[in-house]
Amino acid sequence: MCVLCGELVMNVHWTDQPIHDKEYRPTAVVGESQRDRIRNRLCRADFVNNIVAFYGLSFRDWQGSKYVLSDRKGQQKIINDLGDLWPAAQQMSGRRIDPLDPALLSYLSAPECCRHEHTGSRCHAD
Amino acid sequence: MNIPGAVAMPINQKTPLTIVTGFLGSGKTTLLGNILQAPRFAGTSVIINEYGEAGLDHRLIRRVEERTTLLAGGCVCCNRREDLINELKELLDAYQRGEHPLDRVILETTGLADPAPILFSVLTHPLLVHHFYIDMVVACLDAVNGELHLKQSPEAVKQIVCADLVIITKTDIGDHDTVTRLRRRIQEINPAAAVETSAQGRVGADIFEPAQRPAGQRSGRRLEQLRTAGLDQDGHTTAISSISIQFDQPLDWLAFGIWLSMLLHQHGENMFRVKGLVDVGEDGPIVLNGVQHIIHPPQHLPDWREYEEHNSQIVFIMREISPHQVLDSLRAFQHLIGAHPEIREINLNPLGRA
Repeated sequence: MCVLCGELVMNVHWTDQPIHDKEYRPTAVVGESQRDRIRNRLCRADFVNNIVAFYGLSFRDWQGSKYVLSDRKGQQKIINDLGDLWPAAQQMSGRRIDPLDPALLSYLSAPECCRHEHTGSRCHAD
Repeated sequence: MNIPGAVAMPINQKTPLTIVTGFLGSGKTTLLGNILQAPRFAGTSVIINEYGEAGLDHRLIRRVEERTTLLAGGCVCCNRREDLINELKELLDAYQRGEHPLDRVILETTGLADPAPILFSVLTHPLLVHHFYIDMVVACLDAVNGELHLKQSPEAVKQIVCADLVIITKTDIGDHDTVTRLRRRIQEINPAAAVETSAQGRVGADIFEPAQRPAGQRSGRRLEQLRTAGLDQDGHTTAISSISIQFDQPLDWLAFGIWLSMLLHQHGENMFRVKGLVDVGEDGPIVLNGVQHIIHPPQHLPDWREYEEHNSQIVFIMREISPHQVLDSLRAFQHLIGAHPEIREINLNPLGRA
């Protein structure tokens, strides 16, 4: 359950599943991997933002617990995970979100689209 | 960080669930009957979806009628199999009451069943997902009628595609050439599956044991270069194709997850299988295993095996999507993902007649 809004989150999306290391432990320590978690969320939001910009949308992390997807007309939607994101983006933009779409691919291949490559500040979790 | 009192435990304490599938009459029950006699399966429960002639009378066996709940807006793979959910819950209850052990559950599906909804049911159920994990999907294929089944029944092809291990059964009555042909055909359809043979329903009882099968759980078998030139493109086309993609550098797991979730959002129904080892630049790879919309919880392995090359290799099996589209997409995303994709092998028409 989300402690902020009381929403019952029944499934953890596979991209949010913890990737266990070899020292898998039965106990979790509060706050132990917060830094990694927040960094991953911010990086993910940044990646997604690059992609959904093609559809006129923007995507950001909200309080480390949700994401917010918004368009330029002021519509906003709360997003839990990547499983939620793409259907919502499709509905909000009215366009088919397809990673095989040549138009999207040529947009992404254009050098001005990817800030990461320009600044050299690749978002790596390590 | 070391925690006082914390004990190292295996990667999970969930009960393994093995799914045994195979077309009608492919010898699933015979195979199980033989395997289950091994003492190591004493704590195994079996769920059978249909009545077969071969009996498994010495086991705790539950027979269930197939009952499917259609979820609104879901595709075929996202149906919930209420029957199995109830059975698994009952098994779990009985185990927790101490009535019987629960080392492993083996589920034998009907001959026409699609394994995808079963995976979906277990992996998305809020209770079951914490108590069971899908150990592997085993598909039986009949050495005598297997070719016919693959040619005529999309169900049989789907079972092979979903499988981690394919067992060619009845090799005692099928001839050697057919078995060789079938083996090649299976590897063309699903390059990520391991293939075994069995005569009179006999296989080593250890094939269900993770330690005994490096190729099964890890899919770490380096794919052999398949002969695509040998495929006869005589117009018998099915739209199923597979591609194995290798990456030159460690992938950015976050970015790759974004790409894959986006792909599955739009094309999940047609992405029959995604399987591979992903190098994320750490000590060991991440095991990626998915069937249609359903991705197994990714597992981080502690190290690479000696025979494994240290790079990412992912097999995609899909319908009505050209492998080149996937490759183009990965190339466009490579700035985000951080590695350049290369084709390792490609099978455009694995079901072409030999």
